[in-house]
Amino acid sequence: MSGTHGRTDWAEDDDDLTLDLPQTQIIKNKDGTETIISYKIRDDGKRVKTTQRIKRTVIKRTVNPRVAERKTWSKFGAEKGKPVGPQSDTTSVGENIVFSPRPGWKASTEDKSEVEKKKANLKDAKIKCRICSGDHWTTKCPFKDTMAPEGEAGAAELADDVPEVAGALGGGGSSYVPPHLRNRGAGTGEKMGGKYERDDLATLRVTNVSEFAEENDLRDMFSRFGHVTRVFLAKDRDTGRAKGFAFVSFADRTDAAKACEKMDGYGFGHLILRVEFAKKAT
Amino acid sequence: MRPVLLSGHERALTQVKYNPDGDIIFSVSKDHVVCAWYSGNGERLGTYHGHVGALWSVDVDPTSTLLATGGADNTMRLWEVKTGKLLKTWEFATSIKRVEFSPDGRLLLGVTEKRSGHLGTIVVYEIDPEKGEDQSDEQYLRILCEESKATVAGFSYLAKYIIAGHEDGSVTQYDAKTGEEYKNVQVHEPDMMVTDLQWAPDRTYFITASKDKTAKLVSAFDLEILKSYSTDTPLNSAAITPVKDYVILGGGQAAMDVTTTSARQGKFEARFYHKIFMEEIGRVRGHFGPLNYVAVHPKGEGYCSGGEDGYVRVHHFDKAYFDFKYEVEREQANL
Repeated sequence: MSGTHGRTDWAEDDDDLTLDLPQTQIIKNKDGTETIISYKIRDDGKRVKTTQRIKRTVIKRTVNPRVAERKTWSKFGAEKGKPVGPQSDTTSVGENIVFSPRPGWKASTEDKSEVEKKKANLKDAKIKCRICSGDHWTTKCPFKDTMAPEGEAGAAELADDVPEVAGALGGGGSSYVPPHLRNRGAGTGEKMGGKYERDDLATLRVTNVSEFAEENDLRDMFSRFGHVTRVFLAKDRDTGRAKGFAFVSFADRTDAAKACEKMDGYGFGHLILRVEFAKKAT
Repeated sequence: MRPVLLSGHERALTQVKYNPDGDIIFSVSKDHVVCAWYSGNGERLGTYHGHVGALWSVDVDPTSTLLATGGADNTMRLWEVKTGKLLKTWEFATSIKRVEFSPDGRLLLGVTEKRSGHLGTIVVYEIDPEKGEDQSDEQYLRILCEESKATVAGFSYLAKYIIAGHEDGSVTQYDAKTGEEYKNVQVHEPDMMVTDLQWAPDRTYFITASKDKTAKLVSAFDLEILKSYSTDTPLNSAAITPVKDYVILGGGQAAMDVTTTSARQGKFEARFYHKIFMEEIGRVRGHFGPLNYVAVHPKGEGYCSGGEDGYVRVHHFDKAYFDFKYEVEREQANL
């Protein structure tokens, strides 16, 4: 600090320090380029040596004399006294924009590349059966009717068993039953949502739904199998478009099972639906 | 195409304009200040201080010596371009929505807002470029807009007509000497405000933009609708490009609705349409608010847009822009 000089203006410190720095050197190279070596002090107090190698090209442009004259005007107003050239506080350069006009331009063509990328990703992805892990779609699996999908083996049966197991408090292998599973059959749990519990047993989770789908489309498709009590299609709050999944509740579980079997792998829109029983949100 | 971003304003831009040689851009915004910029590198030449309200409009005379502005402080002002000196102030009862010089720079037009007790008017003053500060206070012409207030207005070729766009979506042709109304045509949907009116280089036809999501190319002589460009968003501005037969449309969701939608839904892009085929040929994005004004370089080298986001974006067209041709145009060129 230069406080020893009796100065109080801290802003002048910088000037002091720059005096210690070597002068900026400009070296003319043989190939017509210039090397500029400049020194400065960074904000953290470290000295930085910058070496730039530049080539000067003079581009001559013929302009209207009026334009040339205006270029020499001195700045005024808020810009008064500022040096020639764009100031960084008011002028900056944006990112490059590719603009190539073409006939029949449509808003969708802009996003085409992204769609294509996704398609390519899909192509690379291996097809794997969820039942036998074979090289085919689950719907085409020869064991479709005899085996349950991997990882969710007997999910349906399990769901049926749960109330009995939970009801027998203290029975079975483990003596502890978490509170939310106790007395499940009686339906007097302290679950959020109160006594009105949705019957998830007959609810199907439908995924890979086209984003242009409407609830009514789904209702029409699924009501073929029985009475549909509820259709919920998740939508984007901003765009109002479907998010790609939905829940369909049936009045009867057997209808739901039938629908699940038939509609899994059904082509809707440009996508193949995946239908499975909804899992309980525990 | 690398746009140059000008961030000299603190509030939404309302109008941007090139001078006739295209080397200077003037911009006005709601922050009371007028800025002048070199269009080539985006360097700010200076600012013009004096207005005490939001500015709505700016125009420069053909010799780039005088600058006119109008704003919400109920004044229309005349400035010296070179020094930023205020030369003359005309005061009105209501705000000034639009100012425009005649093609020879001898007349200055102003559109006044309609407010309780005051009808919207179009006023014209005589300007003497030699006199500087000593401009006439006397109105050369005053046109009362009794049916629907004028929102935009301008002089046709040879300052023969004054063409005005109205709040009700119609366009009127007045005699520029007597103020007599010749013709009124409902160019846009009823009650859809005409938001902009810009001229073709020879001022024989013009383009209007409207809140009804369309822009129309209209002949100045008989107000015949020559072409129509329809979009999916309310338009704030439309411009005709010289050299190439395109029009540039700017708009986007109304400023007051912007906060309720995400940017990708806002449609804040400059849209390029082919002037003759009326087909969209491309868009330029960049603003994150609606485009309030688009102005084209008088020699067709580029364009700039002023947005609600407070930025002016100056674009210099690259080769693809000039090379683009329709099949029929190419065939025609090869014949």
